[in-house]
Amino acid sequence: MDDYALGVLTNIGLFSFIALSAYLLLIAGEMSFGQQAFFGVGAYAGGILTALYGWPLPLAALAAMALGALAQFLVALPTLRLRGLYFAMATLAAAEMARILFELLHWRRSIDGELAGPDGTQGFRGIRWIFEHGIEPLHYLGIVGVLLALVLGLFVFVERSKLGATLRGIGQDPELAASVGIDVQRVKLGLAAAAGALAALGGVLYAHHNTYIEPRNFDIMLGVHSLAYALIGGLGTAFGPLLGVLLDIGVLESTRVFHGYRMIVFGGLVAVLLVFRPRGLLDERMVLWIRQRFS
Amino acid sequence: MLVDFIQNTLDGLSAGAAYALLALGFTLIFGVLRRANLSFGPAIMFGCYAATWTHVNFGAGLLLLALITVGGAVLAGAYVERLCFAPHRGGSAIAAMVASFALWMQFEELATLVMPRHLYAFPLLVEGDPLALGPFTLRVDALVTLAVALIACMLLAWTLYRTRFGLAVRALIEQPSAAALAGINVPWVFVRVFALASAIGGVAGYLVVATHGQITPMLGMWATLKGLLAMMLGGLGSLPGAVIGGLALGLLEAHSQWYLGPQMRDLIAYLLLFVLLAARVPWMTTRSAS
Amino acid sequence: MSFLSVRDVVTAYGKIEALKGVSLEVAEGAITCLLGPNGAGKTTLMMTIAGILKPRRGSIRFAGGEIAGRAPHAIVARGVALVPENRLVFAAMSVLENLQAGAYQRRDRNAVGGDIERMFARFPRLKERAAQQAGTLSGGEQQMLAVARALMSRPQLLLMDEPSLGLAPLVVEEIFRIVAELHRDGATIFLVEQNAHMALKVAQHFYLMEQGKVTFSGDPGSLAEDEVIQRAYLGSAKS
Repeated sequence: MDDYALGVLTNIGLFSFIALSAYLLLIAGEMSFGQQAFFGVGAYAGGILTALYGWPLPLAALAAMALGALAQFLVALPTLRLRGLYFAMATLAAAEMARILFELLHWRRSIDGELAGPDGTQGFRGIRWIFEHGIEPLHYLGIVGVLLALVLGLFVFVERSKLGATLRGIGQDPELAASVGIDVQRVKLGLAAAAGALAALGGVLYAHHNTYIEPRNFDIMLGVHSLAYALIGGLGTAFGPLLGVLLDIGVLESTRVFHGYRMIVFGGLVAVLLVFRPRGLLDERMVLWIRQRFS
Repeated sequence: MLVDFIQNTLDGLSAGAAYALLALGFTLIFGVLRRANLSFGPAIMFGCYAATWTHVNFGAGLLLLALITVGGAVLAGAYVERLCFAPHRGGSAIAAMVASFALWMQFEELATLVMPRHLYAFPLLVEGDPLALGPFTLRVDALVTLAVALIACMLLAWTLYRTRFGLAVRALIEQPSAAALAGINVPWVFVRVFALASAIGGVAGYLVVATHGQITPMLGMWATLKGLLAMMLGGLGSLPGAVIGGLALGLLEAHSQWYLGPQMRDLIAYLLLFVLLAARVPWMTTRSAS
Repeated sequence: MSFLSVRDVVTAYGKIEALKGVSLEVAEGAITCLLGPNGAGKTTLMMTIAGILKPRRGSIRFAGGEIAGRAPHAIVARGVALVPENRLVFAAMSVLENLQAGAYQRRDRNAVGGDIERMFARFPRLKERAAQQAGTLSGGEQQMLAVARALMSRPQLLLMDEPSLGLAPLVVEEIFRIVAELHRDGATIFLVEQNAHMALKVAQHFYLMEQGKVTFSGDPGSLAEDEVIQRAYLGSAKS
């Protein structure tokens, strides 16, 4: 398999993490314009730990996830009682603040005689842990794939459990959920932390794949895309966001058929599809139908 | 020190006038549809690029460019309304808003395809030196912006309070069901409100681009963010609030930038919004936002 | 042929059927009232007739034409006006503007002014407060305003959803006096009420609705009043 194809597949995997983090919040009824911030937190934290302090990637990834979880938890804490557009705007404000903070972040350290580390708007280069440890692109794709499979497995497990039903119940009718004794706020906080960890995982993997990150990578466009992937792929299953990513990066980007006007095509596709399927391709009804067909 | 403060206040008000218009456009759409149109800025950008394209290929006078900008914004707005908002009326708000993102992506790419350079010059609103008034510098284009914004607000107020259409809009904002029961053709009002909001946005876009003398594909995102910020600062869903929010944002930015630099300027604006939302200040959170 | 004919109408919210197949008729020139406990679906029925809600199944025929599923403004154009539950006046607009809103659809703009004068004659308190914001009016005045607003569209059928809700007894009497007056002047009225006693005094025909279906149809007097009132507030013993 050539490098280009490997790159595309890896990107599909990486962006699936942030799409899944947006999806997690969407099924509980919250629209977040800000997952890109936690993706960025994971990217910067992971990169700093491996490139500047020599941490091994697995450990750095765990730390990045913890940081992402904490960050989203802290943002969620004061804002969870907000609904609809108010909550979305709060997440947008938080994400833009994060992006500006990345622009102001100068964390330089001398490594082997040279200054390395995030340099504000100049970006953060030299996140080379996977290359320094001889991990080939194919192996990295394998790592990303395995992690994604684990995450999807976790999602599938949760979907079929009481927690999954609780989450969807909260998404459909929060008052009803509260009236049957569910502590909606606590569940949402837990959800926020999980979403933050998920986005951060994607971020740390992304940073190491690209070896270079800059604040512009984590702007609102990324957040908009993840939300679009989650919604268009379908809110019925965790494979929905994956489908959304596949459609954009997999089909449109890689086939280069629509080179130059991929966004026009993808954007149009999303809008038109939503007219007929407001909850995406793999929405709850479709998932039910598929389950009945194959059982 | 005082001179700087007053100078910044003047500059801030003029920037704020443009923000106020953007916020008014957003608020009209939100007030009536209860949804945020995230393609609002990009539709304005479409109009500005249409004018830029005309200028680059044919050359044109200020008035014609302004008309093309407004007309382009209205056209783009109609496209957004038909594809993103009409199909989801009474349905999913999230689907409508995500669809409006999707069209944002379209507008941005379209701009870069048709006008590939990152930056284009745009004819200035006013050539020549700023006026000097004692220790203060008054840019004529800033004054023009303020004047045009004021006229636009007055026209809007006249439309809302002295026309049958305006009565319908106000009724719809207040009591959507009762408005429908009174025989108001709600979908048709939505279409016209969208056109009105896009036109106001187009005016704002033209003023901004003609003041800066240049246009980039970032205009769409910029206009959306500023408009949303100003609308929320002034209290979601309130038209006077939109004006106050816009002016306040302009002032806040002008002063923050002076004392703390451009990054802190934006940081402070977002921080303020976040804090106000988190504190659930009543004036901000009274309107239901689907 | 009856004026308004509702047949087997089913209206649902998601999976929950609020109307499980409602059938009834409203005769021209009469006051017909619909009684029943809370949650029976009376408001849902009114909203369905007025077009705010779309029925899943069934037919609603008015003056010879099918109106089920049509847009609310089209139904107003056909001559049906609803005075909604909780009045829903446009609080920030003046009394006068509320009336003008009610006349929104009217093609004969010149006659609107005259109608407004007639409304003021029928409801003198509204005339006193013509320039006042509707939100500052008392409950009873708002109810009158809501009725006047609906009348501005010159409806042939007036639907009223719980006009006595939240009003003091004296005010309720006044409201029903107005209802009787409108009837005397030739209006056809379909009235939903919790206040069974007052409603039965003015109605020529009534229906009882419980849990999404019509359970009784008759003239006032065909059922002992205590039984009617009991079923109107509490539902039938056997349900």
